[in-house]
Amino acid sequence: MGTQVPSQARLASAARIVPLYLAVGLIAGAVIALQISIMRVFAVGSWAHFGSLVVSLAMLGFSLASVVIFLFKGWFEQHWRGSATVALLLFGPLTVASNLIAQMVPFNAIFLISDPVQKWRLFANFLLYLLPFLSGAFFLGIIFLRNREGFGRVYFADLTGSGLAGFVVLLAMYLFSPENLIAVPLLLWGAGGILWFVADRNRNNATAIAVLAAICIAAYHFLPAMLGTPDIAVSQYKGVSYARNFPDAQRIYRNISPFGDLQVYSSSYMHFAPGLSDNAAFTLPELPPNIYVGMYLDGDGPDGIMRELPANEAAYFRFLPMYYPYVLKAHPKTFVVQFGGGISTMTALHGGSDSVTVAESNPAVLQAFRDPSLRDVTANILNDPKVHVVDYDGRLFLSHTPERFDIVDLSLADSVGLSNPGGFAISEKYSYTQEAMLSYMRALADGGILSVTLWNKEEPPKSILKLYSTIGAAAKEFDPGNAANSVFVVSTYLSTTTVLFKKGGFTAAELTKLRDYTRSMSYDEIYSPGLPFDTTQTQSILDQYHGSIFGDATADAANPGIGTAAASAPTATGSPTGADPTAADPTGPDAGAADPTGPSADPTGPSAGQSPPDTASVVPATTLGRLAWHYLMNGGWDDIAQQYVFDTRPLTNDRPYFAAYVKTGDLGKTLDRLDVFQDDWGYLLLWATLGIACITAASLILLPMIFGWRVVFSRSRGKFGTIVYFACLGLGYIMVEVGLISRFTLALSNPTVSASVLIAGMLVFSGLGSLVSGKILDSARALLPMVFVGIAVLLLGYGMFLGPVLDWIGAYPYALRLLFCFALIAPPAFLMGFPMSTAMTWLARLDKDHLFVWAWGINGCFSVIGAAAVPIIATSFGLAAVLETSSAAYLLAIPAFFAVVMPARAVTKSVPA
Amino acid sequence: MNRRDLLAFSASALALSFSSAIAKAAVPVPFDWAMTPPTDDRQKFIDWMIANRGEDAKYLGQRFDRYQVMLRNKDLWDKRTESGFLLTPREEFVLKPNLSRVYESAFLDINFGVTISGPHLVGRMTSTINVQQGEKVLEIGTGSGYQSAFLSHLTDKVYTIEIIKPLAERTRGIYDALIAKGYSELKNINTKNADGYYGWADAGPFDKIIITAGIDHIPPDLLQQLKPGGIMVIPVGPPGAQHVLKVNKVQAADGSFNITRSDIYNGKIVPFVPFTKLEGDKIVGNHNG
Repeated sequence: MGTQVPSQARLASAARIVPLYLAVGLIAGAVIALQISIMRVFAVGSWAHFGSLVVSLAMLGFSLASVVIFLFKGWFEQHWRGSATVALLLFGPLTVASNLIAQMVPFNAIFLISDPVQKWRLFANFLLYLLPFLSGAFFLGIIFLRNREGFGRVYFADLTGSGLAGFVVLLAMYLFSPENLIAVPLLLWGAGGILWFVADRNRNNATAIAVLAAICIAAYHFLPAMLGTPDIAVSQYKGVSYARNFPDAQRIYRNISPFGDLQVYSSSYMHFAPGLSDNAAFTLPELPPNIYVGMYLDGDGPDGIMRELPANEAAYFRFLPMYYPYVLKAHPKTFVVQFGGGISTMTALHGGSDSVTVAESNPAVLQAFRDPSLRDVTANILNDPKVHVVDYDGRLFLSHTPERFDIVDLSLADSVGLSNPGGFAISEKYSYTQEAMLSYMRALADGGILSVTLWNKEEPPKSILKLYSTIGAAAKEFDPGNAANSVFVVSTYLSTTTVLFKKGGFTAAELTKLRDYTRSMSYDEIYSPGLPFDTTQTQSILDQYHGSIFGDATADAANPGIGTAAASAPTATGSPTGADPTAADPTGPDAGAADPTGPSADPTGPSAGQSPPDTASVVPATTLGRLAWHYLMNGGWDDIAQQYVFDTRPLTNDRPYFAAYVKTGDLGKTLDRLDVFQDDWGYLLLWATLGIACITAASLILLPMIFGWRVVFSRSRGKFGTIVYFACLGLGYIMVEVGLISRFTLALSNPTVSASVLIAGMLVFSGLGSLVSGKILDSARALLPMVFVGIAVLLLGYGMFLGPVLDWIGAYPYALRLLFCFALIAPPAFLMGFPMSTAMTWLARLDKDHLFVWAWGINGCFSVIGAAAVPIIATSFGLAAVLETSSAAYLLAIPAFFAVVMPARAVTKSVPA
Repeated sequence: MNRRDLLAFSASALALSFSSAIAKAAVPVPFDWAMTPPTDDRQKFIDWMIANRGEDAKYLGQRFDRYQVMLRNKDLWDKRTESGFLLTPREEFVLKPNLSRVYESAFLDINFGVTISGPHLVGRMTSTINVQQGEKVLEIGTGSGYQSAFLSHLTDKVYTIEIIKPLAERTRGIYDALIAKGYSELKNINTKNADGYYGWADAGPFDKIIITAGIDHIPPDLLQQLKPGGIMVIPVGPPGAQHVLKVNKVQAADGSFNITRSDIYNGKIVPFVPFTKLEGDKIVGNHNG
């Protein structure tokens, strides 16, 4: 009997502890599930950029909660059960209410710069969504405070619950559409709440929260309809909203999955012919009518899907820029890197390909094209005997296959964003990197042609220059001696550009064929072997482009004399009605005979005498393209790139971004002319977020001082080091997590899956680390620095070698890829679980209770900063730099750790908070 | 009530909210082609416009201020276009909540995922096509109706097509209300709710075409309906940072057609000028606040 009593006590304790840990895990899981769900709401309702800010928002919730708990620690300790209960009960109702109200005050992203009201609406959205995070953070913070002696285990439950919930939400996306997805965090919250009250032996409350959860889920589903509010207020400026406005629009397909909310609309009002030659109007008998449907992913798009054309209308394909390689190649073996809406594949088939291998990394797209209900509108193209499907990234396939192709086509893949009013998203474009181009070139058979087509809708040119420099660099790496003879480039002003690379170089006869075709389509020849370029105009055009954006044009605007001069030119009002009235119109915008700042007055500018004969009919953007290729192929591009107004560095696997074209050094100069950067607001928003995060973090650090806690605080030793320590952990951890999400997209091909795998993997393995860290508590002074060094070395190594490793992983079946990815995440994540729980437990042991709570907040603050800093560092310096920064933060934490474990003075405890 | 009915209902409700912005008094002097408001003095302009058009002094002042900035930015290239801008009551074509910002440089939301372009862009596009009296002009994307209203002061043959039915009805309602009030020049505008992709073959060919609808290529039918020597303009890019594409249809001696694309500045790279905010005749910052 004597042995039974302790055993029963242990059992009783376990009966309480296990549900408690499960409850913590589930509530932490509910918080992470809510983050992902809200990200989906933003992605579908407006644009995904705002979703990524939600991560910061959740972290902010934790910081704010910790500061409040910290300020009123005594009260919270005394009323821990009541306050935790209230915080817990509020999570569900706040989630439902915040989401509902947020849909009533939608903001319009495209007016963010021009309309001050939109900023407030965005702010209101963030404030609303902050509320449930705040209540979740309060609950977890209070539980941490209450269980600080066993922090490692609670922290393990917290991290593991969060990580697993990430995975649960990923799977739930197969069942729940974006407008229903918040039910998942509500379910997790309900289950967590029940368990918490069970652990607390409070059956009444357990029943109450079960009822409350049911009411919340019902309210979430039914209130919007009852109040006449949309489930998700979809911006009228999203592609799908336009489709819905067409009178005969009909949604003919929908599929929800972690790969997006894919919808297909049919309407006779849809017309697709990306980059169609203007000459089609006169040489093509008739464009095929009513043959398109539009495919939308998360409301973005459309990608045009085309029915099969009757034979007499198939000439249409000749007028598309992706037809170029078929001008030279008869019966080619073709590879289409990204299937998309299938137009490239159709062009390949109509271009006479003997076989077409198409890659599509989004299984939802393939599923749609195989769906019987869409068979009619998709021309059943995937079942064409000539078509072979690769169900993963074409870039990965080509980098591993021994097969060789006559044509590799990458046409307008992923580039719909360039014509999207939402502007650029900071998203990785691994299909367009220098490494990808090299893979494509290596996969070419002898004499094979790589053909890349991209939108050319920017003035001054931005994306196309990045594309040119990327392909130029790849061509020179692939065939250093013959690159200049292997490239042919065309463009249409404010439409598309196509770059052809031929393995082994073009023959004279081929060039003649290409030029004839170019002329027949009225495209502009940008580069071909031997095309002359007048370098005397280089400096002038670079200066003018720089001046057009950052020149001191305000001096002109502020000078009324000039305005008057232009305005008072009534004598020249009559203008000819000839082909180009403004050409002869002296009152045109360049009437600026009176304009001393105008280009015509520029002493370095081109004069009629210096210009080559065709300059007058060539737009500057075309000249710039020619200039770029001249220097790319003949040397001297680096110097030109440095002088050009925007960033034109090649895309690499380390820096795979078209977005973020403003050079970092010019950021300050954008402030008085944000109008011209409206297409890069995704990037500018990141800077704004970073600024706000820094201010918020500083406020949260200073807030306790304002409330007079400085007295107590000053008596706690090692305070500065402790702040640095937790700041480093906050910054370091989130930067690895967010940075690796971007990096792992290389192998996983999909940002949503990558995010879920990283969140789940990082948190679960870190949770395990935190659990194991309990074993080294006593020897932490000696062992933890070694752990830090281990983390730093691993991160540096990952920064250097992860790219090739992920490329290698990418060739395996998806399940294996997931396994490999988890295996890659495990070592650093496991070690990264040690520092937080070790230090927190030591703070508790040393009775540094205030620092214990505050440390949590500091960690949260710097996580907010880190999350915002990652894309900025990645776009400016590359993804490896993100891991290097993180590695530096972990090394800096080593000396700071000794401050954490410095004993507090005895008097600290006696002073009331 | 299904979604389309709801849209139609919303459109009527909105049209009402627009028309309520239309002043009750009739226009004192009907439009004629010789009508030219004074441009040398703000107050003289306001007084003249009140006497001839019966408009609100507050908006007239703002319109004149914007006019001056547009001159400085070289968005208005000749006297006729200047007068067209000054005679077009932009305040009648924006949503009520945006009335306070009607003469700012920014583009404004008009619902249905459509914006009314900023005055600078409208001025530049109108100047570029250099409409002569009697020329036929086709606009694809009626939207708010402001662009066509502007054009109606330059020619008596304006054709405009809107794809979104409730928006087309709303704008037609605004035109009708203004015509009833005495803005007889708006009778020059022919409206149609249809897919602008196919143009308006019955009314063509056109001397000038403005396309304000988003599209990934220039609709062949529109190129066909453009007269030889005609000009088409298309704003390309995100709202607010749009660049205007100018398309010329040229007929060669052998009768064949050639299409040339250019920018509206004839090959010059024109400096971006921040759209300054005017108060009286003083520049007080810009609109990026």
